[in-house]
Amino acid sequence: MHFKKTILLAFSSFVLFSSCDNNEPKINTPLGAYDNGILILNQGVFLGGNASVSFISNDFSTSENDIFTTTNPSLTLGDTAQDIGFYNDLAFIVLNVSNKIEVVNRHSFKHVASIATGLNNPRYIAFCNGKGYVTNWGDGTNTTDDFVAVLNLENYIVSSTIAVVEGPEKMVVKDQNLFVGHIGGFGFGNSISVIDANSNTVSKSINVGDVPNSLSIANNNLYVLCGGKPSYADVETSGAIVKINLVDNTVSSTIVFSDLKHPANLNIYENQVFYSIGNQIFKTELSSTALPTSPLLTINAGATTSLYNFEVQNNAIFAADALDYNSDGKVYVYGLDAQLQKTFSVGIAPCGFYFN
Amino acid sequence: MCQSILAQNSGAINLNEVIISDAQLNNFSNAQSVLSLNDSIIQKNQPSLTSILNYNSFIYFKENGFGMVASPSFRGTTAQQTAVIWNGININSQLNGQTDFNTISTRNFNSIAIRSGGGSVIYGSSALGGTIHLNNVIAYKKQFQNEILLNYGSFNTLDLNYKLKFGTEKLSTFFGFSRFSSDNDYQYIGTKLKNQNGAFHNNSADFNFGYKINSNNYVQFYNQVFDGSKDFSGTLTAVSKSKYTDFNTRNLLEWTNRNEHFTSKVKVAFLTELYHYFENKNTKNYSSGKSETFISKYDLNFKINSKMNLNGILEFNQTKGFGSDIENVKRDIYSSVLLFKHQLSSRFQYELSFRKEMTANYKSPFLYSFGTKYMVNKNYLLRANASRNFRIPTLNDLYWVGAGNKNLKPENANQFEIGQEVKFKNLSISNSVYIIYLKDMIQWTPANGSFWTPNNIKNVTSKGLETNLNWKKNHQLHSIELNVNYAYTISEDNVTKQQLIYVPFNKLNASICYGFKNASINAQFLYNGKVFTTSDNAYELNAYKIANLGFDYLISKNNNIKLGCNIRNIFNENYQSVASRPMPGRNYNLHLTFKF
Repeated sequence: MHFKKTILLAFSSFVLFSSCDNNEPKINTPLGAYDNGILILNQGVFLGGNASVSFISNDFSTSENDIFTTTNPSLTLGDTAQDIGFYNDLAFIVLNVSNKIEVVNRHSFKHVASIATGLNNPRYIAFCNGKGYVTNWGDGTNTTDDFVAVLNLENYIVSSTIAVVEGPEKMVVKDQNLFVGHIGGFGFGNSISVIDANSNTVSKSINVGDVPNSLSIANNNLYVLCGGKPSYADVETSGAIVKINLVDNTVSSTIVFSDLKHPANLNIYENQVFYSIGNQIFKTELSSTALPTSPLLTINAGATTSLYNFEVQNNAIFAADALDYNSDGKVYVYGLDAQLQKTFSVGIAPCGFYFN
Repeated sequence: MCQSILAQNSGAINLNEVIISDAQLNNFSNAQSVLSLNDSIIQKNQPSLTSILNYNSFIYFKENGFGMVASPSFRGTTAQQTAVIWNGININSQLNGQTDFNTISTRNFNSIAIRSGGGSVIYGSSALGGTIHLNNVIAYKKQFQNEILLNYGSFNTLDLNYKLKFGTEKLSTFFGFSRFSSDNDYQYIGTKLKNQNGAFHNNSADFNFGYKINSNNYVQFYNQVFDGSKDFSGTLTAVSKSKYTDFNTRNLLEWTNRNEHFTSKVKVAFLTELYHYFENKNTKNYSSGKSETFISKYDLNFKINSKMNLNGILEFNQTKGFGSDIENVKRDIYSSVLLFKHQLSSRFQYELSFRKEMTANYKSPFLYSFGTKYMVNKNYLLRANASRNFRIPTLNDLYWVGAGNKNLKPENANQFEIGQEVKFKNLSISNSVYIIYLKDMIQWTPANGSFWTPNNIKNVTSKGLETNLNWKKNHQLHSIELNVNYAYTISEDNVTKQQLIYVPFNKLNASICYGFKNASINAQFLYNGKVFTTSDNAYELNAYKIANLGFDYLISKNNNIKLGCNIRNIFNENYQSVASRPMPGRNYNLHLTFKF
């Protein structure tokens, strides 16, 4: 069965693709060279101009690096890639330092458009109500110029902006609402903004723990993983998992980590919760109120191992190792039993997986 | 470098009453290669220290676009392992440990020397790869001279210099002012893009004063103020709107007492550095760092007899750090140095020296240097030296808000070198081979994938070869001079066996100058081999070749007006010194020098 169909069926209740318009049926024939596989976004070196996208086929039989340049040899992807969002047949690649979004066909990777105005320090992208939404930090040193840009998907122009509090980062979508986590930019945030995609206004702000770094929706609840303030903050705080009931958008429970732990990369897969602390990946049940004491797996590929992100999909754990952030990174594929199945060499500083 | 034949003695200094503050550069550098650039070379090159060293020394530079931050790699080491010595005082930033070579204007120095190899015993931290010496020579002679240099060229680039020298047999004063500014909006070759947000300007003022109290006692004062601002230029893929300003002051007061056997120097120095970084130059938001350094030094040289010299130095160094980026801190360092030189026979000489520092902030290693020089015959000389050198953790390494690591150790390196020099009447060739074993290199790496912190994590071995060739000939009204530097460098991480990023295996530069009567023509050539830009050596920047051409003509009878022009990058080479940052193509300038 087509991989995407499987995923969509299995997770029809989870909005993992950050899109509420993306559930039309798909046919099984590949739609392009990069259909039926995983796109890996490689951040590149800050100011190095060497962001790239790698591809691994679903059956792991083929892999290819730098597919944007291969397909569009006259173009350079840009500097410091941050996120990819899918909308219909399109992939929107957000380049943070280049202040732009490159729009390509998600299956062929042929260039479609560039969005270079109206963004300032763009971070993540989501789609709702026929529009694109892009979080922007503005100037890092300015705490009051942060916004969410609204993208017109007909003409690829930023049509309006929604002012939000400092450091808007990742988003998830539920019906006509966007939930924006404020990690805080150069400071430390502790809230979720709810944006009504009909009026493009912030309808509510929900206080969560410090530094909400990843979000996931399951069973009509929003789960927010808060990393806590790091050791160099004024006061170091522990991470927490905050559960928000999406019926009334209020916090229904909070599980606080002990011993000043700083978790990241929340994934919910088949009612199981995955997150990482440093180079360790932990697993617990969605229904559990206690946190696991020992990790599911530890990535220990060498002295410079640096787990940057991971994603659980298709009965596998895809982990991105950025190494020293200045050399080609690695992708490790583990089974849910934590056994290493495959290793791939990708571009510099792999930071995200997108299942195509 | 040669000049038109009629001007050759114009810059010469009367040698009988000349003092430089950096006495050890002459007295205790016999076992190492020292390359000297005189003031005629200084005047011929662009005013930044980057440019003159790039075209006239072994040192490799990477520049974040023309005029932007420039960092050297000397003998395969990092920017923090090359020390810049201003009149004998180490002026590397106390904050980041390195000198931005584009924030040093060369116009007001009489001599710049490049001393290859270890120098920590004499010059302290960062003298691993080598040291760059900026000297103001104080001459006691009757003179009154004004000199103006006006230099204007492509991209609205202005290089202006005014110098006033006034002196008697007892008194010497010098004042110099230089300004270097540019719109720096050059076209990226082969694209429609221009170097965006690259404008810079800087002003540098130097004041030197010397007073000869009597034949045994001198008081001298050196002062430099540098005020610079540069917009940080964008890259091929990133637009920039940021700006960085520097304000640095350097002051040195010294009293020299000398007699037949003893030369004592009491020195006090006060150095300040201040930077502001504006992420968006159109707003008032900035971050900043500041340091103040007070140095007091007692330097006693005892000439035991005509063959033996003993030199002791005691130094106290106090540095305070302030600003939004680092914790407010104070660091006291006490150091003691002993240097001994012995001319064992007419052919054989050796030097032996030691340094030990004490500070509460980290444990400091015992440093040594041992060097020999052997004159095989009048044309051939051999030298060898071994030394242990170090780089102390900087204030940023130790105290950067939220990331500094107070448990850092100094980096330390053992270095071994042998060299030879062949000298004939018109030709001299010098070669050195060396190996440097660097331990505990400090690197900033991500901790837990989130924030970056420095640790002593890397060991590096650098080895290589340096060759310098100089040939000159004067014949009647003709003069010709050729100068070639070549460096071969391997600098490897001991674990990965990969070459360090931004260290080329090959670097070559050459200059040739021909003068006839009132005219001279000079050409410069630079070849930089490929460099790796990532630690796994998977990505590289291409090698590049640049050629420059210059003409000068003395237009007045008493040689006081000189007119000239330069064409830089004549073959319009499209090259990047740092990835994604193209450098200027062919560009032009005109200059006028006026002495009165």
